Amino acid sequence: MPINYYIFLSIALFCIGIVGVLTRRNAIIIFMCIELMMNAVNLLLVAFSKMHHATNGATNASAGIDGQIFVFFIMVVAAAEVSVGLAIIVMMYRNIHSVDVNFLNRLKH
Amino acid sequence: MNALILSAVLGVIMMFSGVMLKQKSAVRNIAITGLFLLLVVNILEMSGMSFFRINTAGMMHFDRFSLLFNCIVFFSTFVYLLLSARDIEKTGNYYAEYFTLIFFILCGVILVSSFQSLLILFLGIEIISIPLYILTGSDKKNLKSNEASLKYFLLGAFSTGLMLMGIALIYGSVGSFSTAQINMTEKPGALMIAGMILLLFSMSFKVSAAPFHFWTPDVYDGAPTVFTSFMATIVKVAAFIAFIRLFGEAFGNLQPQWQIWIALITAATLFIGNITAVFQQSVKRMLAYSSIAQAGFMLLSLYAMNADAKEGLLLYSAAYSLATIGIFAVLIKMNDYTFDGFNGLAKYQPLLAATTTIFLLSLAGIPLTAGFISKFYMLKAAVATGRHLWLVIFAVLMAAVSVYYYFRVIQAMYFKEGQPGIITTSPVFKYTLVVLAALIIILGIFPNLLLNWYYF
Amino acid sequence: MIYLLQGNLSVSDSGSYLPVAIQVLFVVGLIALLIFLTHILGPKRKTADKLQSFASGIESHGDARQPMAIKYFLTAILFVLFDVEVIFFYPYAVIFKELGWNGFLAVLMFVGFFLCGFIYILKKGALKWED
Repeated sequence: MPINYYIFLSIALFCIGIVGVLTRRNAIIIFMCIELMMNAVNLLLVAFSKMHHATNGATNASAGIDGQIFVFFIMVVAAAEVSVGLAIIVMMYRNIHSVDVNFLNRLKH
Repeated sequence: MNALILSAVLGVIMMFSGVMLKQKSAVRNIAITGLFLLLVVNILEMSGMSFFRINTAGMMHFDRFSLLFNCIVFFSTFVYLLLSARDIEKTGNYYAEYFTLIFFILCGVILVSSFQSLLILFLGIEIISIPLYILTGSDKKNLKSNEASLKYFLLGAFSTGLMLMGIALIYGSVGSFSTAQINMTEKPGALMIAGMILLLFSMSFKVSAAPFHFWTPDVYDGAPTVFTSFMATIVKVAAFIAFIRLFGEAFGNLQPQWQIWIALITAATLFIGNITAVFQQSVKRMLAYSSIAQAGFMLLSLYAMNADAKEGLLLYSAAYSLATIGIFAVLIKMNDYTFDGFNGLAKYQPLLAATTTIFLLSLAGIPLTAGFISKFYMLKAAVATGRHLWLVIFAVLMAAVSVYYYFRVIQAMYFKEGQPGIITTSPVFKYTLVVLAALIIILGIFPNLLLNWYYF
Repeated sequence: MIYLLQGNLSVSDSGSYLPVAIQVLFVVGLIALLIFLTHILGPKRKTADKLQSFASGIESHGDARQPMAIKYFLTAILFVLFDVEVIFFYPYAVIFKELGWNGFLAVLMFVGFFLCGFIYILKKGALKWED
């Protein structure tokens, strides 16, 4: 399959994520949209990795391998971010009993 | 490499010291000693004594620039801990964990100051950001702190998403994450340009440059003041080092494409930071906007991207961090964060008032202080590019505006009557402040004391 | 040497996707049919009592979305963290023979750091279910 399809698919996923972040008001859904953005990136990286391997694999057997390694790192960092983020959301929920980001206006004077 | 490994190990040590040791003072002393060791080890590496030989596969490179920058960061953190370690403990129950997180952040700072691969850049930025989300929300019962933390987290993760997309697109067009390889592309395609723009956006977000600055005042205001001090100084200059390395080493050949964008961002940052700071009523919030304004000045180095700019950025990061840490250390001791809270401070605490004045003068860029000479370097670098002179003139005008809001604090301290509510301070605190103020003046008169380290 | 990417499948003709498509169709069709049949064939006697949620004869009260205990959350988060870190063993598993003892030591160091975190959690009492 041509690489363009992958690029279009992951850009589409990425844009869905961005639109979700900008329009939704529930902190957890915003967070899910951010994860969607990261997964779009993962998909794209794997596709590019495969592409670089197909084009340069004959001369360099490990061509394109770093893209997939990067995906591993993104997953791990995303998991770390999830744990911190959910902890923050839970902390927020215990104090104001809501996860609506519209409540986040105490700091605006 | 020395400092990187040591800081990771120190983080683990601090983690366990919280479990094993019961006295707060012991934990604090371990942290301060550890930081001192970190500084020593880093200086040893600068003079050629590296304890570890690790093959990083070209992903990291410790050159003079990054090592000297790390020295500045460690020194600033050392001073920060000397001044505010007691206040860190007061934030919450998990006093050892705060130091742990600070050491892990330093780990991230070392990564972003010496990366040669976008993978390390990403990891470094995340290692800096994730502990910061926790530190911002460390005052768990305080709704403002919660809110700042959630806001910072959501926006930070969003900008990380943008950065990752940028990296992925660049990887698609180049086939490698190495900055040197990226710089070798002769004809940048659409993928490359799109990736670069996404990276530009996310990095401007991390340094709080103008169209992406909106989170800064809220987060800095909501976070516990001790951690605001850390975020506004050390973390911010680290993000700048990452920014300048990324655009110098990976996109150096594309400079004609991005220079005008950086110029516009710089102008917007200077304008918004300085003008909004004028209208603030709280000193803490004024300092948040002032950090945006100072970021505008640091962006000038990115715009110029020449030898002067690199020297200037080192000097600026030292001058800015030290002065801001000093002001925040005094601010933490105040009961009232408004400008009126400072009324009459000179009468009751002449020493605190005098040192704060020096810090404020340095931030405003008055001659004989480090702030002046670093601003001078920045402007010199920008003039040397020979283009967009309007930017230099604009920067000077904005520096003049900044004098107004810094002098408001000085005016409150010296020329207004009042009874400032202030928590008692220890002698060590006062001596450190005096040394810090002296250091700022010495750096202002002999900037070469710092810059000579860069060359040999 | 074996590399991660050498498992290169040559799936080019669209004919090889046919079994997959048939299976997907079958699965979707079966589920739709079952849902449809239960609605048609099942007897319906709707009364107010029947429409209540079933709570073993006890009067139901309150919302089901009660906040759960925070302990569960903590354990779940820790599980996610430790679960995902295992990801680094996959690339190691593919090439562990080529890497030799150096690679083994590196992985051992990684596990060691990991263990530090685990001991820390245990010491802090995060995994204690009953308090």
